[in-house]
Amino acid sequence: MPSRRRTLLKVIILGDSGVGKTSLMNQYVNKKFSNQYKATIGADFLTKEVQFEDRLFTLQIWDTAGQERFQSLGVAFYRGADCCVLVYDVNSVKSFDNLNNWREEFLIQANPSDPENFPFVVIGNKIDIDGGNSRVVSEKKARAWCAAKGNIPYFETSAKEGINVEEAFQTIAKDALKSGEEEELYLPDTIDVGNSSQPRSTGCEC
Amino acid sequence: MASSQSDEPAPEEREIDITTSTEPGSDVLWVRTGSEQEMDLPSSPSSSGYAGEGGGSTSATTGSLIEIEHDEEVEQEQMRIQNQIDEISISDSNTSWIPGKRHQDEDDGSISWRKRKKHFFILSNSGKPIYSRYGDEHKLAGFSATLQAIVSFVENGGDSVKLVRAGKHQVVFLVKGPIYLVCISSTEEPYESLRGQLELIYGQMLVILTKSINKCFEKNPKFDMTPLLGGTDTVFSSLIHSFSWNPATFLHAYTCLPLSYATRQAAGAVLQDTADSGVLFATLMCRHKVISLVGAQKASLHPDDMLLLANFVMSSESFRTSESFSPVCLPRYNPSAFLYAYIHYFDADTYLMLLTTNSDAFYHLKDCRLRIETVLLKSNVLSEVQRSLLDGGMHVEDLPTIPQYRTSHLGQHTLPSDSPESFKEANHDIGGPAGLWHFIYRSIYLDQYVSSEFSSPISTRQQQKKLYRAYQKLFTSMHDKGIGPHRTQFRRDENYVLLCWVTQDFELYAAFDPLADKALAIKTCNRVCQWIKDVENEIFLLGASPFSW
Repeated sequence: MPSRRRTLLKVIILGDSGVGKTSLMNQYVNKKFSNQYKATIGADFLTKEVQFEDRLFTLQIWDTAGQERFQSLGVAFYRGADCCVLVYDVNSVKSFDNLNNWREEFLIQANPSDPENFPFVVIGNKIDIDGGNSRVVSEKKARAWCAAKGNIPYFETSAKEGINVEEAFQTIAKDALKSGEEEELYLPDTIDVGNSSQPRSTGCEC
Repeated sequence: MASSQSDEPAPEEREIDITTSTEPGSDVLWVRTGSEQEMDLPSSPSSSGYAGEGGGSTSATTGSLIEIEHDEEVEQEQMRIQNQIDEISISDSNTSWIPGKRHQDEDDGSISWRKRKKHFFILSNSGKPIYSRYGDEHKLAGFSATLQAIVSFVENGGDSVKLVRAGKHQVVFLVKGPIYLVCISSTEEPYESLRGQLELIYGQMLVILTKSINKCFEKNPKFDMTPLLGGTDTVFSSLIHSFSWNPATFLHAYTCLPLSYATRQAAGAVLQDTADSGVLFATLMCRHKVISLVGAQKASLHPDDMLLLANFVMSSESFRTSESFSPVCLPRYNPSAFLYAYIHYFDADTYLMLLTTNSDAFYHLKDCRLRIETVLLKSNVLSEVQRSLLDGGMHVEDLPTIPQYRTSHLGQHTLPSDSPESFKEANHDIGGPAGLWHFIYRSIYLDQYVSSEFSSPISTRQQQKKLYRAYQKLFTSMHDKGIGPHRTQFRRDENYVLLCWVTQDFELYAAFDPLADKALAIKTCNRVCQWIKDVENEIFLLGASPFSW
């Protein structure tokens, strides 16, 4: 319970396996990249403190496993997310096509109060591969999809070279902050013992 | 109203070497327990698939749900610096304990953080950290997420996780709606004790915020309640500290400041006047001990609520400096809503709490307080309280043995003269007769306990904590639902002889010299009970107890 007000943002990273979710996160948090592929099992969690417009906040990043067998973890993992990052590989059409499924799945599982305006960010990763020659999803196509889904911010990155990673996460933080502004009102009751013989008053009992 | 039954025979010797159960045939042998290790061996709850973390605090911390790797480098490093790390919260007395959060700079990558013997965490069901005993909550966000993932993973399977044992660590989980509480401990305390401590921490949170927070989480799972708890670090750290010295935390009973019957009556009478004028509860306390307590009709105050309320008041510095009016929730009375507490300190130790349902009652309660203060001064209650604080309570050295030669510190009692054999003074020149070192007596009807003052050889804070933990273990084993409940228990190890005796009316826990004679120890316990009966007017709050409703 820090005395000064700080904000914690829960960020979920989704996308097909092998698109580079863990590498992006590792590049952003640890400034490191490894060519070795190691599948994430379940989920990994990283924390990064960020300063933004004189405010200090913490990104709690949930790097999830892309394999389908882990999707049952969804509800629990997506609960209370402030932002969702959808990642695809610009060299894989399938990973791009699946963005729609990931987005739908997230909205169903997380069940945010305002799904239309829930902050997503889309990242097209691995733009460095083969000097861009093996690229199969054009930037235009990706941007069109983002525009159709409510103007989702779009970034093209290379986790390997560290290109655009910082910028993408800056936007993630900014958008999550914006939507997190509306605070729930905390309105506690007072016990009323006036006329009832029962001291228990209204309020939820769980 | 008798709190002890001295005429009941002492537990018979044959019952004593093993724990006896009310059910025949369920004999349970007690394993000798070694002395509790105060220094921890390094342990590595390392849980990351990434290399390079664990080398002190960095801006990034990691955790992982399932990838668990044993990081030998970290382990060796821990070995190397083990001796440089200070032990936690060791001081010579409770009073020198400094409240507030320690080791704020640590996180789960810090070796020192990993070595802490007992962690407590509060988090939301979306994995957002709310409170951590050690370290910075935000830096522990990854760790907090890991804890949520574990809870949720098990919940997904239609089950719930209660306890995970990992080497000498116990990880205890408590789920309270949208709030998850976790304790990670290597203190070897029983699971039931740790779980009870989590319940109290949750209760303390309710004292401050009520269960209304559940509604906030229902409406918005992103809800961040840390701002609502701003500035309450000391309340939680002081409660957690009390888990190592305050028997009320596991006995679920309160204790009174020893006072003459007349003095306590005078305090009770003036509080009763207040209660008749619309106050729900009126309590006069000295530190964590009750001077007097009065409740409006049908209202009863649970000992746990008293503990949490007293902790809240005593750990919040601002209550000491001026009269205050604060919303508080009594979780056992009504967890969903607030009461209002008028709080005023008469001196550094003695304070008045008047609880009402009326949020406009400040000036009325202020008037009540002025009236109470006048009466307390006129009847010398406050000076008697100070004198009692100086004198202390029951000292084992004062346990009456031969009535004609010894008189009790607490006065006027006499032992039955028909006790023919005079006590053979034990060979030990410390503690009380027969090697009695300490005792705790809990009256079941009164919901009150009395604990003897610590004296040699239980004189350092560390020895007191060790004995406290031994009592806690004893209490748990006596109340074990699986193999109990039990009536008597006698156990001897290299540290103590511990004797516990439970009847319908009371529970007695006594610690003796490890070489104490068994028969003498039993006789001594009988005398303790008699002594308590003789002085019950002074050590307990009798009669006007709201628990009798």
